[in-house]
Amino acid sequence: MHFLPQKAFALPIAALVLALSVGARGGDVPDRWWAPGEGRVLPAALDYDNDHGTLRTLTVGGPLKTAGHPFFEPLGKDGRACVTCHQPSDAMSLSVKSARRQWDRTDGKDPLFAAYDGSNCPTLPQDRRESHSLLLDRGLIRVERPWPTKSFNGNPVTPDFTIEVVRDPNGCNSGPAYGPAAGKISVYRRPRPVANMKYLLAVGFPYDPKQGYALPLDPDDGKPQSGNLMADNRAGNLRIQMEDAAATHLQMLKALTPAQRKTLQDFELRVYSAMQTSKAGGALDSMGARGGPVRLRDSQPGALGSIGEPVWSEFKAWESIPKDEAAKLTPEQLAHRQSIARGAKVFREKMFLITDTAGINSRIGFGNPVRNSCVFCHNMSQMGNDVAPGQVDLGTTTLPFADPWDDLPLFKVTCTGRPHPHYGKVIYTYDPGFALTSGKCADVGKITLQSMRGLSARAPYFSNGLAKDLRGVVDYYERRYSIGYTEQEKQDLVNLMSAL
Amino acid sequence: MKRLTLLAALCAATSAQAAQDTAGLVRFVACPVYRDTDAGRKSGCWLADDRENGKRWDVTESPYKPDWNFAVLVEGRPSANAAQPCGAPALDPVRTSRLDIPCTRHMIPAEGFPGRRYTLPRRNIAPLSVARAVPPGPYAERVFPVYFEFDKDFLVYQYDDWLIDNAVTWIKAAKPKKLIVTGFAATAPETVSGVTIAERPEAAQERAETIAETMRRLVPGTAVETKWEVAAQPTDEPEADGLPWQSQRRAEIRAVF
Repeated sequence: MHFLPQKAFALPIAALVLALSVGARGGDVPDRWWAPGEGRVLPAALDYDNDHGTLRTLTVGGPLKTAGHPFFEPLGKDGRACVTCHQPSDAMSLSVKSARRQWDRTDGKDPLFAAYDGSNCPTLPQDRRESHSLLLDRGLIRVERPWPTKSFNGNPVTPDFTIEVVRDPNGCNSGPAYGPAAGKISVYRRPRPVANMKYLLAVGFPYDPKQGYALPLDPDDGKPQSGNLMADNRAGNLRIQMEDAAATHLQMLKALTPAQRKTLQDFELRVYSAMQTSKAGGALDSMGARGGPVRLRDSQPGALGSIGEPVWSEFKAWESIPKDEAAKLTPEQLAHRQSIARGAKVFREKMFLITDTAGINSRIGFGNPVRNSCVFCHNMSQMGNDVAPGQVDLGTTTLPFADPWDDLPLFKVTCTGRPHPHYGKVIYTYDPGFALTSGKCADVGKITLQSMRGLSARAPYFSNGLAKDLRGVVDYYERRYSIGYTEQEKQDLVNLMSAL
Repeated sequence: MKRLTLLAALCAATSAQAAQDTAGLVRFVACPVYRDTDAGRKSGCWLADDRENGKRWDVTESPYKPDWNFAVLVEGRPSANAAQPCGAPALDPVRTSRLDIPCTRHMIPAEGFPGRRYTLPRRNIAPLSVARAVPPGPYAERVFPVYFEFDKDFLVYQYDDWLIDNAVTWIKAAKPKKLIVTGFAATAPETVSGVTIAERPEAAQERAETIAETMRRLVPGTAVETKWEVAAQPTDEPEADGLPWQSQRRAEIRAVF
């Protein structure tokens, strides 16, 4: 089943996409939405407002002509391009707000809502909103993973768990074509930002302490891999990632050419995105603060904050703004800047007991529980991702920690070897995460840490969109770990995250 | 590598020095108790009670720490430091291996004890961006041991990574013809605190293969051969910290020219 109206099939895909895009613009002002194939020029610096301020995206060496560029051109049969789910206004990811806007403006005809993964399942009637509810309500794209896992890092894998489908509200984990028996498992995840890539690819140390191995080597260049690209770490380098995305999300029938891969990789390594201005606090790179994407562009990636520049010390100067400087601000601006600076300290210094969290409390040897703060995992200077491969189970996708949702599939995982260190032999999960790549029961529920820049532009949060806003992120951690944040601390953390 | 014959049954055959080294060793199985001290990150205390004599020990300094849901095999030596920041005499050196024996989790408050402020352990590695000093030659056949938790093949953070980093730095400089990795497992059953424990024979092969794969990743292009042995005997290598049981649970990387 296809979402496009019958008459549309007569049009070449590129022309159709352009028509939808122009129709969606509604004026001369360049639209927030970058439609595939529209041929706009991507400026060297591009600003977009959001609820918390202004996001800035830098393209090193820009401006960039997007006409003919494989990131921006529709490459597959559905008329999608990479930019469809990696929008500059959304910090090179995709917000629910943008998805809804495109649905409303195109009556669901935008290539974003392609049946393959922009709907809850291709078997559903594609012209109905409810068939796309996971994308429209939580920003989730369907991700189809092979079952059983056959290899990881080039080595054969025999999974040490079985998987059954407890419930399948969308039909994509049962029937003749879908589900474990058909060799496919459908999970639903947020698109990860294609920006600030040098940080996600950076390698700080030669070991993965969570897996107890030296880092795997990149099959292309023989260098250690960061393990921080994808939610389930199924792609260790950009080539594998883009080939995976082209074959699935873009539904390309042919492989990317070497020239296309080179152009894509070159572009992805040149894009930096971060909040530049706070609506309440003003310029994030003023009065000694060093927010914004310029610093991301100019810093060396991969540094551990605990032995170098502390994480979010970009806002240290705002911990004590001199009186003469403070006098230049409105009371609201001053208070907001102070709150951001406090939030950075809370992020680094507020200790709590981390419990029953694979990737932290097992198998690494820190103990269960272990006392630490947010920077225990979000430890890379300037960026807040994990210097080590960041596969951690916060419980966001797995019972009993995950919120109860009736619109996601629920899987029953049974460990056939050693039980999971925290869940035991039987685990109920909406998304086994890294286990679908490694084949290990101990990895069920582990999701690679999220990128923390540009958060204001791309709600909702966590891999399955469980937090609809930044406060929801803080509230989840409070529920999960009984941290004991004060109301002030919660607001300070929200204000910090809104400024990244 | 010089081997020790160990423990009571074998003491008579060992040197006086070795006998002295094994004196005072402590080994027992217990459900761990977490004392919630707060002196900053990683500052909580781990306590374990030897039920045979009623003694409570501070076992916090283990490189692999307990999980409050499972029993631990405690192995250590009473610390020379009499301070009790966790409210019990400390074992140091000490190891706490997680066993597959469920425990009722138990956390007690700090009760005025400060815990220990975290300090970076001696065995920590520098980031990749920091160049390693080239070890001086001449280079000849050499063996590098790596140690494991009971019945596991998992590389221990801030222990095994440091041991391997040192080995790899030397191997890169020495350029041996090949590496022979031998995994060992302590498979002889022993009864500790009324619990019979023995490592699985498979653990020896798992350790060999884990270290071999690690070598392939860290020194690609160097030939790596694997072997494994059960019924492992203790050694007196210093990085096992004088704990004979720890020295049994090892893999050896032999650089051959």
